[in-house]
Amino acid sequence: MATLRLNGIRKRYPNGITALHDIDLDVVDGELIVVVGPSGCGKSTLLRTLAGLEAISDGELTINGRRVNELEPAERDIAMVFQNYALYPHMSVAGNMGYALKNRGMPKDEIRRRVAATAELLGLSELLERRPRQLSGGQRQRVAMGRAIVREPQVFLFDEPLSNLDAKLRVQMRLEIRRLQKRLGVTSVYVTHDQVEAMTLADRLVVMNAGRVEQCGTPMALYEQPATLFVASFLGSPAMNFLPVTVHRDGVVLPNGTQLALALPVAMPEGRVTNLGVRPEHLVEAASRPDTAAVLDVTVEMLEPLGADMLAYTRLSGLEEWLVVRLDGAHAAHEGQRLSLTFSLADCHVFDADGRRVSMTEGAAAKAQACQ
Amino acid sequence: MSAPFQRHRLTPWILMAPQLGIVLVFFFWPALQAIEQAFYVEDAFGLSREFAGFANFQAVLSDKAYYQALGTTLIFSLAVALGAMSIALLLAVMADRVIRGARIYRTLLVWPYAVAPAVAGVLWLFLFDPTLGLISGLLGNIGIGWDHKLNGVQALALVIMASVWKQMSYNFVFFLAALQALPKSLLEAAAIDRAGPWRRFWTITFPLLSPTAFFLLVMNSVYAFFETFGTIDTVTSGGPGGATTTLVYKVYQDGFVGQDMGASAAQSVLLMALVGGLTWFQFRYLERKVQY
Ligand SMILES: Nc1ncnc2c1ncn2[C@@H]1O[C@H](COP(=O)(O)OP(=O)(O)OP(=O)(O)O)[C@@H](O)[C@H]1O
Ligand SMILES: [Mg+2]
Repeated sequence: MATLRLNGIRKRYPNGITALHDIDLDVVDGELIVVVGPSGCGKSTLLRTLAGLEAISDGELTINGRRVNELEPAERDIAMVFQNYALYPHMSVAGNMGYALKNRGMPKDEIRRRVAATAELLGLSELLERRPRQLSGGQRQRVAMGRAIVREPQVFLFDEPLSNLDAKLRVQMRLEIRRLQKRLGVTSVYVTHDQVEAMTLADRLVVMNAGRVEQCGTPMALYEQPATLFVASFLGSPAMNFLPVTVHRDGVVLPNGTQLALALPVAMPEGRVTNLGVRPEHLVEAASRPDTAAVLDVTVEMLEPLGADMLAYTRLSGLEEWLVVRLDGAHAAHEGQRLSLTFSLADCHVFDADGRRVSMTEGAAAKAQACQ
Repeated sequence: MSAPFQRHRLTPWILMAPQLGIVLVFFFWPALQAIEQAFYVEDAFGLSREFAGFANFQAVLSDKAYYQALGTTLIFSLAVALGAMSIALLLAVMADRVIRGARIYRTLLVWPYAVAPAVAGVLWLFLFDPTLGLISGLLGNIGIGWDHKLNGVQALALVIMASVWKQMSYNFVFFLAALQALPKSLLEAAAIDRAGPWRRFWTITFPLLSPTAFFLLVMNSVYAFFETFGTIDTVTSGGPGGATTTLVYKVYQDGFVGQDMGASAAQSVLLMALVGGLTWFQFRYLERKVQY
């Protein structure tokens, strides 16, 4: 059982690349933190510095209040599941799982008992004598999990453990990891670039971008109150729509000159360019909201029926990007059709020119941003 | 019947013909001649010969010098193979960790392989020359009298050193390549699994190198048996008192120096059988242990 504290962690590689800039994060006991971000943003680097595989250039890392910067990986009592699983090819499944226990000098009987118990938990009992190359991808993934679990470590680290599996297995293993982590109650840091995986697994989510933490909080808090344009565009599928607007006396003006009578609750100087973000599910047909003053006239260019929903990729004149709308699955829309859309002020997100959220209700954004 | 890409029946044979020709002319033909020769007794001038059955083999197998050469060969081969492989492994492990100047370091370590066996022999001969040698001089200063021309043990040690030095580079290249092909994440996983550097080497790196080590064991055995002839010839010529006469060297001595073709041929047939048997044993019993 452990708490993990990252205090201004910085990582500079010998070639001069700074992969992590002042990362601050507190992980409480038993929590599952998911770190998500685009490729190359420093997720693996973060995990490797936690594990002790990379030296920390600056800042302090503590586990249960004890500084561990200088400790070897072996001394940190951390288990890691690698993206390629890193199973020892010359050892059986039982050998792989028992390796760490053997290194600790545990008696053979005790090792066998613990390996058997963990194998039972993961449904690996039949496979204990096999070599890794005789296993399927999903089974290998399980063995990699088992190797971490059997040690009963203070902290689990997962580096994209599901990215080599097919879609169905990924969903299944995702649920299993969630169930196991809650059952074992081991503090975990889980890295992924899949935002669906991130949203479904996380107790708290950390969104990273270019070596920095953009925002951290519960998945829903980040979804509902994204602190930056980056977070807003990264979470949610399909992504949030952004309308570049200019602040006007009685509302805002779209690039094509259409005026929307939106009374932004915060005072913004006239002429200021901002980004208005609206999620696809928050765009509705204007007919259903007779009282609205903000109407967008769009043309449907493409439809994607998903069963329960239908995604409409629509064109708003003067806007380069598509405006994506989530319609009801039974909607009778066809390509080329004109639609009038609207949204409520409560559902839109305002970002200033440098991508920061403009707070609509005092305090909300500040709360979402606190990582410690 | 056969897949379209296998339809060219003739082309592979044409492409292999030069190599097959060389093997036939320079290996199978002389080998067959040697086997034939082993069953004949020839007069001193090679003018006439007479079928002798197993007489040549009987003569060889009842000769004490033959057993001495067999013993010398076993000690020599074991020492050369183990010495060349373990030193090469040590150097490869260290070279694998070098980051700065790694290429220079590796190039220097590969050089001995480009040196001809006789030249390597002469090099070591100079270093250990009883009167002029650099190393023998140093040894003399610390009270060890070195004279491989009189001392059989020292002579054997010297040819072993020269042969190890020569073969080490070959092994080094293979070990280094194998080390660099090991997935780094395995060693990282082991480090997280509480294995220290020493334990990581013996439980992860070494077992994963075993296919390479097995291949090198076969190659080094063959090298030690056959290809060290040049080194032995230049350094000690099989002496003193037969202390460095290996089986191959004895084949040469009896056949080309002693002009006893029958005995020489019988010995080479026995030697072929011995190396063939050894290689078969290595594949049969060791190879299974190194697969994973
Ligand atoms: N050993 C290294 N030496 C130098 N730079 C490195 C090293 N490893 C990673 N980097 C750089 O550090 C940055 C972060 O890399 P990292 O592997 O942490 O990204 P990531 O978020 O895990 O990406 P992905 O999702 O593709 O795995 C990248 O710019 C990368 O090029
Ligand atoms: Mg990564």
